[in-house]
Amino acid sequence: MATPKEMMTTWDKIQPGAVLPSFEDPEKKIRSKFNSYNYKVADWRVEKPVFNRDLCIDCDFCWVSCPDSCFIVEEVENKRGKKQAKIVGINYNLCKGCAVCVEVCPTPIKSLLMFPEFVDNDEALKQWPKKD
Amino acid sequence: MAERYELKQKEVWDGNMAASHALRQAQVDVVAAYPITPSTPIVQNYAQFLADGYVDGEFVMVESEHSAMSACVGASAAGGRVATATSSQGYALMVEVLYQASGMRLPIVMTVVNRALASPLNIHGDHGDLYLGRDAGWIHLIANNPQEAYDMTLCAFKIAENEKVRLPVTTNQDGFLVSHTAQVVEPLDDDTAYKFIGDYKAMNPMLDTKNPQTYGAQTEEEWHFEFKASQHKALMESPAVIDEVFAEFEKLTGRKYNRVETYKLDDADVALVVMGSAYETAMVAVDKAREEGIKAGLIMPRSFRPFPYNEIAEKLKNVKAVAALDRSAPMGAMGALYNEVSGALAANGQSSIMTNYIYGLGGRDTTAQHILEVIKETEKNAKAGKRVTDLQGFINLRGPKLSFN
Amino acid sequence: MKNIGNLKEFACTPDRFQGGHRLCPGCAHGMIVREVVNATDDDLVVSTATGCLEVCSAIYPYTSWDVSWLHIGFENAAAGISGAEAMYKALSRKNKLYNEDRNVKFVAFGGDGGTYDIGFQSLSGATERGHDFLYVCLDNEGYMNTGGQRSSSTPIGAHTTTSPRGRVSYGEKHRKKDLTMIMAAHGAPYVATAVPGSKHWKDLAAKAAKALSTVGPTFINALSPCTTEWKFKPEDTVEIGDLAVETCMFPLYEIEDGHKLTINYRPKNKVPVEEYLSKQGRFSHLFKPENKWLIEEIQKEVDRYWEYLQRREEAGV
Repeated sequence: MATPKEMMTTWDKIQPGAVLPSFEDPEKKIRSKFNSYNYKVADWRVEKPVFNRDLCIDCDFCWVSCPDSCFIVEEVENKRGKKQAKIVGINYNLCKGCAVCVEVCPTPIKSLLMFPEFVDNDEALKQWPKKD
Repeated sequence: MAERYELKQKEVWDGNMAASHALRQAQVDVVAAYPITPSTPIVQNYAQFLADGYVDGEFVMVESEHSAMSACVGASAAGGRVATATSSQGYALMVEVLYQASGMRLPIVMTVVNRALASPLNIHGDHGDLYLGRDAGWIHLIANNPQEAYDMTLCAFKIAENEKVRLPVTTNQDGFLVSHTAQVVEPLDDDTAYKFIGDYKAMNPMLDTKNPQTYGAQTEEEWHFEFKASQHKALMESPAVIDEVFAEFEKLTGRKYNRVETYKLDDADVALVVMGSAYETAMVAVDKAREEGIKAGLIMPRSFRPFPYNEIAEKLKNVKAVAALDRSAPMGAMGALYNEVSGALAANGQSSIMTNYIYGLGGRDTTAQHILEVIKETEKNAKAGKRVTDLQGFINLRGPKLSFN
Repeated sequence: MKNIGNLKEFACTPDRFQGGHRLCPGCAHGMIVREVVNATDDDLVVSTATGCLEVCSAIYPYTSWDVSWLHIGFENAAAGISGAEAMYKALSRKNKLYNEDRNVKFVAFGGDGGTYDIGFQSLSGATERGHDFLYVCLDNEGYMNTGGQRSSSTPIGAHTTTSPRGRVSYGEKHRKKDLTMIMAAHGAPYVATAVPGSKHWKDLAAKAAKALSTVGPTFINALSPCTTEWKFKPEDTVEIGDLAVETCMFPLYEIEDGHKLTINYRPKNKVPVEEYLSKQGRFSHLFKPENKWLIEEIQKEVDRYWEYLQRREEAGV
């Protein structure tokens, strides 16, 4: 796993003690180039989970079980004005394709299914199993 | 706010007490330590200062020296002034973490009371522990008496925390001969001492949690070399800061320290390299030798690391024969001082005749008379213009003569 | 203390342990760590012992931590965090804190190697000294970072590379050390067990929140099923953890103030241990005729321990 070229600085430019800042702009929470959020592990996958928003009930089992912090969450208000999470997608840079999310998905027809990496997501959604 | 400790202009302190007061005056934020002979009194004294209200930092009595240095690393990375004390086996147990502390460039100060390493077990002074830590990436300063133990500890904080250095520093004093020997010490008052050291300057503190930092990342073959090289560079360039701090200290106290100390070396034909309390014994021996017509002198690296190669070579330029006295079991080689000094001379094209003596292991007494004999042997080499004595000898060892060539 | 309500609410927490780390696909460490660091809104300083989590989350030039983080060595995560916590106390007393407006909590993570074995002394010391921190053991029952060697947490009968099954061996010979009870015996104000995943997520998050809001040393022993060395498919991590609970191989309980034991989950029908063992390659040899006796022994031991926990809970001591 070689380091990207732009990160390969020389001995005279590295930070003393190998100390890594998490944020480039801590106030605005802009993550630094050193933050693994900006790293890609996509090439670990052979299959990817595809998310079907139409079937999702926002139980967030996938979010809490994901070891790679992949689920993209939007904060919305429910009918009673309480904040709650809405799953809106998967960060494919960070997903390693472990399929835990698919296993824990409780909807009668799963809202998450594994597809081969080369299948387009729209195509995958078309292939989704239907209620019989 | 901690109470000010009223000190007399002249105090009678042993080396341990001197080091304890220096730690107290530095207003260290966290001291994490573990007792071990002969440095135990440093932490005992410090605990008493705390109990009497003279310390308002944290004092963490951990369950081992490994944890002592680990807690120091955690505290230092968190962002504040940190110190500890140890000796011998405790130092040995710390060694893993010594490398981690320096690799993370944490300015921890450790007052070391030098003691032999087992086995066989021995609680008395030699430089076995200092030599064990010599490649750990720390600055190692040497104190020959309680006054110097006090002075070096104050200077250590200022050197370690300098933004050009940011390396941990040990101050070394000989077990018992310095640590438990009471002498007159002239301390600074609390305010002056603290003002000399100054406030702690944070660099990437973990406790600035709004700007989180990762300490202790893993660097494999793409990076490790660069970090070690840059750390070495910081050590190699630290003499500029050490000199600066010593100069400022002289201005404040009138006490002048140098990275290379000498005694009657200017016109010497014969020189001894000695570090620690034996340096003062050797001064007596040099005076006696000179009474007998031998032009003898002394030289000592006050900073064992970074080792002052060029300065030592320069000062030994006109010396005909040099004996390096190492207070540590060399175990299959020449002693460290012999090797460093020989290297320094060779690098500068100098050809003083070099010999090595091992002395004082486990607190074995080394008298002025013993050292005078070494001077006389070394003079034989100077006179002959070549080495006519053994390469490595042992001082005050019982039994048939032991030497190596 | 952060209120751990429903998952919809909890999932609004911005992640502080980022992806892009190099933990194996399906690694339970990632699940546990995310839940723990998300279980408080206070700022965190985290230390981590050498091990899977450490080598995978801070491979230079990347860090997966949005909180301050420190790795020193294998055996000193607890000592390191105790130093950081001491510095926080000192700076607080001297009015020199970097952010007066923020509360800072201290967390240490260690694998079972760094906790049960080599780091136990430093954990015991830091706990005895009463530092205000949470120690989370990511218990995957062996030295998985170095290729699956046995630790004192490896359960009897498990195959590891240093307690291998063989012609004359059934694998690990010794019982798993009962570290949770040992930590409780320190008199720590809060000690608990937990598993990752969607079924018991709230148990873990609430325990982390409780531990983090408790003053003094707290300890959570979290079972971390290891897809790589326990030999099961990555997608089964959560199921394996759940089975550990349903079989009572790894019961969920907590102990307050060193003695008050509460069982947090009671399986409706205790599942036989075979169910748990048969799903993991590390136990596959136990199903050979000559080793079946050991499965019976494991079942007996699990039953005995479950009985013990229930009686302790009833007795309220």
